[in-house]
Order: sequence, then structure tokens, then C-alpha cells
Amino acid sequence: MRHRYKLPLSFRPGLRCILRCKNFMHPIVWPWEKRLSLLRFLAALLVFSFLLLGVHSAYAESSLQSIRNRGVLVIGTDATYPPFELKTGDNFEGFDIDFGNEIGKEMGVPVRWDNINWDGIFAALQTNKFDLVISDVVITDKRKKEMAFSRPYFLSGQTIVRRKEDGRIRSSKDLPGKLVTVQQETTGQYAVEKLGLPAQQIRKFETMQDALLEVRNGRGDAAVGDLPALREMIRKGYPELETVGGIFVHENYAVVARRGEPELLAAVNEAIGKIMADGRYAHIYEKWIREPLPANYLVGLDKVSSQGTPIAEGATGSSFTIRWSLLRSVLPLLLQGALMTLWITFLGLLIGIPTGLIVALGRLSPFRPLSLLAIVFVETVRGTPLLLQIFAIYFVLPSLGLSLPQFVAAVVALSLNSAAYIAEIFRAGIQSIDKGQMEAARAVGMNSRQALRWVILPQTLRRVLPPLTNEAVALLKDSSLISIIGLSELMRVGREQASNSGSPITIVLALALLYLLMTLPLTYLVRRLEARWEPISRPRVRGVRSRQATS
Amino acid sequence: MQENIQPPILTVSNLHKKFGPSEVLKGVDMVMRQGEVVALIGASGSGKSTLLRCINRLETPTSGTIRFRDSEISGSDAGLDLNQVRREIGMVFQQFNLFPHLTALENVALAPRRVLGMAEQQAEKEARELLEQVRLGAKADSYPAELSGGQQQRVAIARALALRPALLLFDEPTSSLDPELVGEVLAVMRDLAREGRTMLVATHEMGFAREAASRVMFLDEGRVLEEGPPEQILEAPREERTRAFLARVLNR
Repeated sequence: MRHRYKLPLSFRPGLRCILRCKNFMHPIVWPWEKRLSLLRFLAALLVFSFLLLGVHSAYAESSLQSIRNRGVLVIGTDATYPPFELKTGDNFEGFDIDFGNEIGKEMGVPVRWDNINWDGIFAALQTNKFDLVISDVVITDKRKKEMAFSRPYFLSGQTIVRRKEDGRIRSSKDLPGKLVTVQQETTGQYAVEKLGLPAQQIRKFETMQDALLEVRNGRGDAAVGDLPALREMIRKGYPELETVGGIFVHENYAVVARRGEPELLAAVNEAIGKIMADGRYAHIYEKWIREPLPANYLVGLDKVSSQGTPIAEGATGSSFTIRWSLLRSVLPLLLQGALMTLWITFLGLLIGIPTGLIVALGRLSPFRPLSLLAIVFVETVRGTPLLLQIFAIYFVLPSLGLSLPQFVAAVVALSLNSAAYIAEIFRAGIQSIDKGQMEAARAVGMNSRQALRWVILPQTLRRVLPPLTNEAVALLKDSSLISIIGLSELMRVGREQASNSGSPITIVLALALLYLLMTLPLTYLVRRLEARWEPISRPRVRGVRSRQATS
Repeated sequence: MQENIQPPILTVSNLHKKFGPSEVLKGVDMVMRQGEVVALIGASGSGKSTLLRCINRLETPTSGTIRFRDSEISGSDAGLDLNQVRREIGMVFQQFNLFPHLTALENVALAPRRVLGMAEQQAEKEARELLEQVRLGAKADSYPAELSGGQQQRVAIARALALRPALLLFDEPTSSLDPELVGEVLAVMRDLAREGRTMLVATHEMGFAREAASRVMFLDEGRVLEEGPPEQILEAPREERTRAFLARVLNR
């Protein structure tokens, strides 16, 4: 996050000049500031990715045997989804947790649970972070292409959540034309997409809780998700919401494994069969779903058992090569995301730079209340994580009656955040201008506003350009945090595609390249500008005559 | 030397200036008339700079009065427009203080353009003439960083002249110059003196004081200890402290 490269003010390359050397006409060139060429960087990136490939193959033997050798079964889950999986204190609990622990017992090894964000869960499985995923994962054809599913262990489906007594929404037929919130890359999202809703009517969130919050705050009309989970969440924390219309898309949960591990899959299926047969399943069901197991429920589960991945289908498709076809198909999406990133960063700077200048002038003002106000603003913004600011502006302000749309909230957050940092850059810049400049300006009869406008600020601008560019680059990268509120900027699109495709390496490399493509021209541009202004900011040495000739 | 019978342009009475506990000016009295060139001499720390800076109000006097032409300018009444006052009192600084982001021409033309609202062409034409006057017509498009110290100080003089001030203040204009560059600046200042400009020059250049000044004032520990025609002050000073100062400066 931002403070990592923000905190030591004196170490930031641009300000270094201003702070360290009193006379800015003698900039210091530090040895490590030598040009890092794009080519060299890309080469390093390639080497890095090959290293990753190598590391991967060392761990590639995960199978039933290696689990037994290791003595522990590692299962990944996103513990934000009661009653299936949740965390109370340090403990995991829920339907899936009890169920997974029973599977471990059947296989003769204890289970270790790994908590992970939903949108990274399949990528982590593919990279051998764990052996299985149990996180109320619904079987879909799309997912079947990348992963192996056990026989289904839970019958569920998608339902709709509305604000209580919101008569406009009674069934899935009422959803078109409304704003619907979902947890990203869940079958809830797919179900809504299947209803034919256009992208701008679907708001995707990292957790189901955020999606429900959006409906409660009145910015979304309805949320769509798994019936049992939604029922539980509403019961616990959303008395203003209710489910409506029952299940409109039926779906089944299964345990997920990597493809090409038939032994493990067979062992899991066998364990599930035993747990269902001997009454343990009914016990878990009644404990977490809070109703008796329906009479024909297990029969229903048996009927759909063929939905899992056939054990024989064992072809190992390593997901660790760069998949050009995948890249081709997602590139348009990524480019759209990159455009959005550029756009919100641009707007953030467009508002942040003048705001920062005003804040800096306020801070330097002799009028005490004004300078105090500026200090409070700057220190508050710099002293809290940007992620928190984004979250507060989008999710907390509505409860104070100010409900901003996604895009506006994103731009406001980036503007305010950058304004605080830019204010400090301007302040340092203005204070670095020799006192004699202001005196000389006043001595020729300028008032302080004229002196600022014609003498101080033009010099400040030239001096703050390098640190300002650093800020622009930082802001462009930090704009990735906007993904938390579901705006489809580059990082979010990338993460969605990475979790969707099961080939994170391809997407991550593409993301890195796209970010570089955006940041490198920026640094290059500033170098050009600095060179153009050389006669003003450097001692009279070389290159002076040519400037004279052109002027 | 003939008696100057012009009305006073500047009258300073009992001027005090304190910086915290230390009192730099301890009751300065002086009068300047139209066309006079007054050399202000005295040791470092005697208050020369502070006096000049009080006169164009870069510093606020602690007490005492300053009358410039027909107005009292030492106070801080609402009616007093300091910016207007400063337009009529030009100042040349020891460190030049040219605007480094502007060419020589733009340095000179800036105030006429932005303060007086003069048209760009007119301002540039006049700025060019002023640069010719300080013998820098060829350097109009150079940036300060491309000029020698002496050239920079001459641009600064042209800048001070641009608003056609009634009074010119020079704050040790040659003190930060290499010795071989002092002459060109003094030459320009002599030209100005000959033209009949009213000038108050804080300086250590006794040669300039002798040739160009109509009057020399010796400032000592925040007071005017002695003043008179250059030949009297520089060659036959009445005060022992003046003699001691001159001996130090001239034997250097």
C-alpha cells in the first residue's frame, strides 16, 4: 500500500533534490537513478516468470499419496459465507467445515483449513496452495473445464434478496431493469447474467456482505445469491432485507480438486458416500441449516451424483504455461479495464492537483484556522490506508445520507487521497523557493497573489514536477484498490479473469505489462519536460546556446 | 557643490526597528531630496540593509515615521497601499533575486505587464530600451542562469527601473560580485546618477561614494553618526568611529 513508498519523504527521488541541496541549480544524480530500460525490465520479468514455473514443478506431486505422507489434508475456503463457512475468533466453523473434517477422518488425515478470498481461491488451488476447495462451490460447465468436482454434497440454488416489502421485485422476471448486486464470479453472477441483464445493471462485490450492504443502502435494488447462505446472513445482520420467490436456478455444491488427480477425487467421493449413508450428513445438515433433513433429500443427491467429474477423465493440463489463446480472448476486457484505470487516475489527478495546491496554500496561510484545517486534512488522509478511505466513502457515507455512485466514489477517493500527498509536494516546493524571490516580486509592486501567480508558482511547478510524477504513478497503481467497490478497473478485471480462467500466470503477467505500459510513458514524459527546462534549472553549462537559438 | 533646494522626497524620523530583543535601528533621521544620490556606508550589521528594507516596507518599522513624497508610509493604516508605494520605490538586492524562470527581457517586463497592465508589446519595447540602457540589449533572451553575476545585477537594475520609480534603493549591489565584475555594475549606476535619478545606495565601494554620491551617510549601530559631502566624510570625518571604519575599509 501507499505508505510503503511514501513515508520517508527525503528518500523520494524528486523531493530529494529540493530537500537535500539548498541550491536547486545543482541537482544530485544518484547512482541508482540510472535509466532502467524497458527492455531490461521485460527481460527480468520473463526470468521471474520462468522461475515461478520451476518452483511449481517441484511441488507438482500432490496426490492422495503425498497427502498421506504429509499427514495433513489442506482445504481452502472463503470463510465469509455462513452457514457454510465462517470464522469465529480463530476457529473455522459451518456446514462445509464439519463436512470437510469428516472427509479428512475418512481419509485418515487431519484437516488444515486455509482462509482465502473467493476471487483467488481457484488460482490458489491450481498453484497447490491446498489439496481441495470446499467453499459451497457450485458445479458449472465452465468450471468443469478447469477443475475436477466430486459428487454433489448439497442441493441449493439462487434466490433473490430485496428490501422488505419492496413490491417491485417478486421473482426473477422482475430483475431486468433493476440494479442487481452479486458476489463476483459466483453462480449468483452467472445466474443474473443468464437472465439477460446488461453489465451496467450488475454490481459485483468481493463478498456477499458488501452486495447485501449495497441493497440495504438503497443503491442496489436486489441481490442474488445462494438461498441457504443468504437466509443465514439476513437472519444475523440484515433485518431490513428478505428473500423472495424461492430458488430460481437450481445448483449443486461439490468438493473441488485439481484435474488429473483421480485417486484423490475417488477417495473424496467414497468419503462423501459414507458420510451421507451413516447419518453424519443429516446431523451436520440439521445443525447448520436449522431444519430437519427433507425426506427425499439424500435420494436427490444420489440422483445428481453423476454431475461430478468422471474419475477416468484424468488428462493433466498444466495451467502453468502462458496461454496465448486465453490472452487473446481476455485482452479486450483487460484493455477496457486499463482504460478505466487511466480514466479514474486522470480524473483523480485532475481534481487532486488543484485541490492539493489549494490545501498547500491553506497550510502556508498565516490565517491559523485555515492552516490547521489543511494540516488535519493532510494528516488524516496520509495516516489512514487508502483502502479504508475508499471503503468509508462508498460503504459508510450512505448511512450518513450521502450515497455516491461507484464511479463518483472512486474518483472522490482518489482525488482526496492524491490531494493530500500533492499538497505536501507543493508545500515543500513552495518553501524551497528562495525568500528573495518573494521579496523581489513585492519590491516591484506585486501583491502577494500576483507574486504567487507570476513568480513563485511557475518556479514551484518546475521543481515539483518529478515528485508529482511519482505521485501520478503511485496513484495509478493505487487505483487498483478501487476494485474493492466493484468498479471494473484493470486490477479487478484481471482478478476476475484470473479466478475465472484458472491460469493466473498468464493474466498476472498481462496485468504487469499493462501497468508498465501505463506508467513508463509517464516517467519518460517527465524526463523530457525536465530536459526542456534545463536552462532554467541547471547552471549555465552545456546546451545553453541551442535553447537561445530556438527562443 | 551646489545646495539642493528641491523639496524632500523622503523624510525618515526617529526610526526604530527591533528583531525580537535586538534593536537594529535606534532612531534614524534622514532626508533625501529629488535628484540626490546618497551613499549609505557603515560596518556590516550597522543597519544599512534594515533601513533600506524599512523604507520600501519589506520590513515593518517598530516605531518612527517615514514620509515618502506626500504620504506617511511607515504605519499600517487601511488607506495605505504598500504595493502602490513599492511601485514608486525601486529596489536592487545584493543577491540580484532575478526570476530564474524568465528571460532577462521577461524579468524587466513582468511588473509593467502584470502590475500596471501594460500591453505586451509596449512592455517589451520599454524593457528592451532599459536593457540597452544597462548595456545588455544583446542578452534580452538569456535566462539568468546563463548570465554572469554582473550581467544579472544589471538586469536587476533594469527591472527596478521598469516602473519608473521616484526613488531607487540599492542594497550593497556589488557585494556578492567577483571583483572583476564590480566595475560594469558601478558604471551603470554612475550613468543613473548622472541622469539625475534619486538614489539611496548602501555600499562598501568608497570610490563610487566619492565620485557619484552627492552626500555620504555613515550609519553606526543603528544611528546616523555623521553625514555630509563625500570629500568631507571620506577625507575629514569628524567622528572617531567614522575614521576607524574608513581605515578598515580603505586598507583592506
